[in-house]
Amino acid sequence: MIHTTDESDIEIERRFVPKAKDINEDIAWAQINKDVLRSMERPRLMYWVIFLASLALFSVGVYCEVYQYRNGLGAADLENPQVWGLYIATFIFWIGMSHSGTLLSAILHIMHADWRKPIYRFAEAMTTFSLMTAGLFVLVHLGRVWQFYYVVAYPNERWTWPNFNSPLVWDATAIGTYLTSSIVFLYFGMIPDLAICRDNAKGFRKKFYWFLSAGWQGTDRQWANFRVAYMTLACFLIPLAVSVHSIVASDFAVSQQPGWHITSFPPYFVAGALYSGCAAIITLFIILRYVFRFEAYMTMPILDKTCRLTFAIAMVWTYLNLIEYASAWYGNDEYAKQALIFRATGTYAPYWWAMNFLGSIVPFVLVFKSLRNHLPTMMVVSLLLNVGMWLERFMIITPTLAHGYYPWTWTGDWWPNWVQIGIVAGSFGWFSMLFMLFCKIFPAVSMYEVKEMVYHRFMASKARA
Amino acid sequence: MSLSNLIKNWSSLRVKRPYEDQYKDKDYKWAMVIDLDACTGCNACTTACYAENNLPVVGREAFSKGQAMHWIRIERYWGEGEEMKGRFPDRGAQFLPMLCQQCESAPCEVVCPVGATHHTPDGLNSQVYNRCIGSRYCSANCPYKVRYFNWWQYPERAWPNPLELQLNPDVTVRSKGVMEKCTFCVQRLTEAKGRARTEGRRVADGEVVTACAQACPTSAITFGNLADDKSQVARTWERQQIKLASDRQEKDENLRGYRILEDLRTYPSIVYMERVRDSEA
Amino acid sequence: MSNSNIDRRDFLRVLGISGAAATLAGCGNTSIESGAELVESYVQPEDFVVPGVGVFYASTCTQCGSGCGIMGRVREGRLLKLEGNPKSGISGGKICGLGQAGVQVHYNPDRLTTPMMREGETLKPVSWDKAMAVLTARLGSSSALSGDQIAVLTGEISGHQKVLLGLLLESFNSTNHVVYDALSPTIGRAACKAVLGVEQPVLQIDKARLILSFGNDFLGAGPSPVHMAAQYARFRKAPRGTLIQIEPRMTLTGANADRWYAIIPGTEGVFALGLAHSLLQHQEYAHAVSADIAEALKQYDKDTVSEITGVHADALSHIAGMLWERSPNLVLSGPAAEGHAHGFDNAAAILLLNLILDNRGKTLQGQASHPFPQLTPITGSTGALTRLNQAVTAGKCQALVVIGSNPVFTAPTFVPFANNLSKVPFKVAFVTQLDETARQCDLVLPLLSPMEDFGTHVAGYQPAGVDLMIQQPLMERLYPETRGLGDILLDLLKQRKPDAYKAFPDYYAYIKTAVTKAKPVFRTTSSDDNFWEDALRNGVLHLDGPPAALETHAAAVKVDKPRSVVTDVHYPFYFVPSVKADLRDGRHANLPWLQESPDPLTTIVWDSWVEIHPTTAAEMQIREGDILEVQSATGSVMAKAYLFPGIQPDTVSMPLGQGHTAYGRYADGMGVNTFKIFDPVFDEHTGELALYATRVIIKKTGEHANVVKDEGPTALQQGRKLVVTMAADQAQLAKEISRVTQ
Repeated sequence: MIHTTDESDIEIERRFVPKAKDINEDIAWAQINKDVLRSMERPRLMYWVIFLASLALFSVGVYCEVYQYRNGLGAADLENPQVWGLYIATFIFWIGMSHSGTLLSAILHIMHADWRKPIYRFAEAMTTFSLMTAGLFVLVHLGRVWQFYYVVAYPNERWTWPNFNSPLVWDATAIGTYLTSSIVFLYFGMIPDLAICRDNAKGFRKKFYWFLSAGWQGTDRQWANFRVAYMTLACFLIPLAVSVHSIVASDFAVSQQPGWHITSFPPYFVAGALYSGCAAIITLFIILRYVFRFEAYMTMPILDKTCRLTFAIAMVWTYLNLIEYASAWYGNDEYAKQALIFRATGTYAPYWWAMNFLGSIVPFVLVFKSLRNHLPTMMVVSLLLNVGMWLERFMIITPTLAHGYYPWTWTGDWWPNWVQIGIVAGSFGWFSMLFMLFCKIFPAVSMYEVKEMVYHRFMASKARA
Repeated sequence: MSLSNLIKNWSSLRVKRPYEDQYKDKDYKWAMVIDLDACTGCNACTTACYAENNLPVVGREAFSKGQAMHWIRIERYWGEGEEMKGRFPDRGAQFLPMLCQQCESAPCEVVCPVGATHHTPDGLNSQVYNRCIGSRYCSANCPYKVRYFNWWQYPERAWPNPLELQLNPDVTVRSKGVMEKCTFCVQRLTEAKGRARTEGRRVADGEVVTACAQACPTSAITFGNLADDKSQVARTWERQQIKLASDRQEKDENLRGYRILEDLRTYPSIVYMERVRDSEA
Repeated sequence: MSNSNIDRRDFLRVLGISGAAATLAGCGNTSIESGAELVESYVQPEDFVVPGVGVFYASTCTQCGSGCGIMGRVREGRLLKLEGNPKSGISGGKICGLGQAGVQVHYNPDRLTTPMMREGETLKPVSWDKAMAVLTARLGSSSALSGDQIAVLTGEISGHQKVLLGLLLESFNSTNHVVYDALSPTIGRAACKAVLGVEQPVLQIDKARLILSFGNDFLGAGPSPVHMAAQYARFRKAPRGTLIQIEPRMTLTGANADRWYAIIPGTEGVFALGLAHSLLQHQEYAHAVSADIAEALKQYDKDTVSEITGVHADALSHIAGMLWERSPNLVLSGPAAEGHAHGFDNAAAILLLNLILDNRGKTLQGQASHPFPQLTPITGSTGALTRLNQAVTAGKCQALVVIGSNPVFTAPTFVPFANNLSKVPFKVAFVTQLDETARQCDLVLPLLSPMEDFGTHVAGYQPAGVDLMIQQPLMERLYPETRGLGDILLDLLKQRKPDAYKAFPDYYAYIKTAVTKAKPVFRTTSSDDNFWEDALRNGVLHLDGPPAALETHAAAVKVDKPRSVVTDVHYPFYFVPSVKADLRDGRHANLPWLQESPDPLTTIVWDSWVEIHPTTAAEMQIREGDILEVQSATGSVMAKAYLFPGIQPDTVSMPLGQGHTAYGRYADGMGVNTFKIFDPVFDEHTGELALYATRVIIKKTGEHANVVKDEGPTALQQGRKLVVTMAADQAQLAKEISRVTQ
């Protein structure tokens, strides 16, 4: 599968990166530019395979959505009380995915963890695109999607406003803000790199990058302002990220359904979000490293650190998960207890146990260093973790709706049909399509920050010597 | 202008129900009493509701998927515990007509993002079809699961010509993608209130009833104005010692009135009267 | 309104029914757009039409024979909804689901809109002129048919339609009015006649302190369910009456019982005699029966009875004790007890209890005598169809007129009526919608719907006094090519006897004359026109009358040696059909509201099913939704299993009325036709088909399908306190506020 047209260009692959080092500090700055820019021109064949597969999946989703749009949501086999199906479950999943980018780019940025530098750009892109995907589900699940703008608070001659008591309005606001901010943040952090692209591009592309780089010259004054602005944005983004998923959790915690009405939901959701986001970073890390030949930048020690971070978050999630069960178990709420027992023993029990196994047991693989450094294992484990996290969201929606306060309307064997599955699959296609396009058009590794990192490491090693 | 309106009316956008005896100052607070000892489970109310409120017949396929649109449904329970110890349901079945409880503090109202479901001054939990965007959050949050969603474009299939001539022109035919629910036959209430206002009086007790109450062969359903002390509904509520704005009734033991899932603080507008069985029989 | 020259057309205007343009306005004006009709402004509406205001007109429900008064809500010329008519003593302003669905008969998309005539294998639309030419050629002035050569087959029918049919037959020197009712009450009526001297006593349910019902589903598919329900509501108010139901399969009435007992089908009479024996222990009851009956009853000791009936012996003494304590009471026999080879004896034994308990005149009365016996309904039976079938088989019948009856669908397999129909040279059906029988006829004439036609009706069950129910059009006819039954009959009669009928230009004129002629009976001083208008406005002409006295014929009760039911090794299960209050014998299966109205006990819709007791199901490893083959000696049907606790364990039950093959989009293909598995068992006394005596065997087919029902995976309240039950001695009903008063 190796795309071997130009052997000299792929020399980098064979270059040895010392195991203990996050990055080879000897690497020349020009080489960094060259490597990253090359990734934007000639990726491996696998890139196209992934891109076309995504496009195909996306088309499936589009077909299903058109079918559903024309016929009504009944086409998706939704019913009373299974009113949401996979749509809202997958919506939470994608919102969760969006947290990793902020974690790596903003939280680790202000904590000066510089190992994040080669990987934060794609993580940040992941944030943006998964938010866009999540937003799609908000639209897809609406009965009258053509009236979606009623949720937005806009002045109008009828003096009608959205209902500010509704968590869905909070949702729309929070997601809108978060999406805007993360696009700005992603773009802002990319400006110095876009200038490099501009300087190396020709023709139409040059104009494109010239426009996007917004006159970046790399002057001292520009860098100084850039640093302040970037730090400010990072600080702004962190509470947003936490609030977005807390608000998504409020959709449920604020409601009255047994199994949803739990105060620990916001931290539980945030932890779950970070968890699935980190797992997704591992997956994409491995894919990008291979597809774009980023072995020199996306090094094993960085993967190792990401895995350790993931494990820590997995344990936080497990803890909060246990709190959820325990509060239902010890609480005086008979309805919530019955709902919990139904999850563990009812129709969806296999999925519930699978979720607990995948979410709490499988991460222990990450404890072993040898496994952490084994790429195929990590690929499988990271995917499994995200399957577990998706199941978690499925477990939040479906069994709860199946087993509410009113026994007459319990459902025994409700399962999503092909339309729902098609749209969910389509969302994965949409996400990876956008992501792959991004990596092709924009530098997926931050050139200027890697240079900084290399410089700092070089200075540090010189100081040690 | 609308922003100033928003600021001016901010407090009205906040949910403060149930006001303590809020309805007492008003002319109307619609409420219901359903006597489970009189209900025979005959389904006359259900069909009357289909006729009055343009409910679509969804057909076998959709019904099997749980997409039925009956605003009032008759639930049939078998006894639990002692009653079912033997081989047979010795005390018969237990029928429960379940419709929107028109909660004074309705869980559906707070969560609707667009305010399509809201509380009217006369105590109805109303649904504005034009405003509904179909998020179904209200249904997910309804403890009684009495909200029905238009999963399909029923107007195209439920009334083949000339069945559509039967449609009640006072009631909207709902398109796909909106939520609907029992309205306490708001079209009848509005008409009666308008008539009464023209004549400068309050709607008299029994002047207007819901379609289900009107049809019920055993008169198990009583409908009326709780704000009118002399109405049968108000007197029954009082006699049964049910207070609208209370989540736990302190009442005498031998009173039959109760409200369903009251402890969730939904403050329902429907009082059920306990089924009676002769234990000597 | 007092203009005596008012004609039908003006009359409709007066009714507020404007032209077709207004009828269609507001619901898609395609005919207006196409120029077929003129746009009519609402600014100048027809007289009595106020746009946006619904007007109510009284009429009579014809969905069953109860004769409930109804009110039709009409707006802009469209009939929208039916309500009960408060002026009707029978309905009391209430209405059942079946009655509500009457508008769907009228608006049914599968209505027959033109006459149809047979051409080879199929029916082809023809013009009315052609159809009437064919009809009059056969049945008009030149017809040579007479006597048994002509037969009219109808369902239960009353009023002036019945009179006109009789007159038509009379012009052929025939009395061959065959009334067929697949769910006929013949056996029970015969028993009442024998024991009480009347066929249909009036039940004073509200006056009883205890009702003991042997499979009588008076709240469901009884003779007058709306009226009975109102009575039942009063019965349940203070002092609250107690209802005990004994039956093999729980009916809607059984579901409302204070105590429900399962009994082996057919042994109800034994149980009743056991009770009689037990009651006769009390001195004051001893005189009720003759000494030899009392002596014979001694064989019915409680252990024997218990063994035969499958009801615990203590239950017998307990019920007897309650009957003794709570007087007046009422003992009812129902179809489940009557539909057996010894069904008459069962019913008589049950009625004997009323004699012993002296309920006569207290909770049981005779109906007031009817001043117009020619208008009272003829009750149908299966026996009538069997006899017609014999005549048809013998080739005696030359012309057959079918109205409101569908024997091809409802006749059991051993009455091969469908096959024999071809032996009748001329078969004509009058229908509102094509059904299985009409499709086999040579000529089918489309009738006006009951919402478009005039008529008079007399209910078979007259609870108080006598009601003559008036049916009037609630709106303009939907289809120009439909005609009223009365008009067609009148046309034929004019051919037969021109002189006698020339005074009546149409059925409206006939019925108006007929009703106003009855004025003296109602002792009113108003003018003829006012009388007629009042009749139309009220929808009912009521006449008070004293209830007739009941007789006592305890000797009619046969007290043999207690017989247990013979079991059949080949067909080990008792088969108990269930009659749904709305679908009845299947004639209403074409109404979508009723198809989607869940069966009260199983909550199943749009289907047939097999009710089976959970313990039996467990033994046979049957789960809900398993498709079972229910096979009797005469046929077999397949349906999904439904586990139902309210049924005798060695009994299965299936609903009647589903399984149509040619009755429109809402009926066809829904469920199976259980009429086709009835065994040829007949009541020994009346010769009527015994509907509850079939034996079947259950076979699993290995297939499975989801049961379409409203009920979820649990039928329990899971501790939620949704339906709360209070003991009767605790409830203080007398202190409650109630609209329903004595």
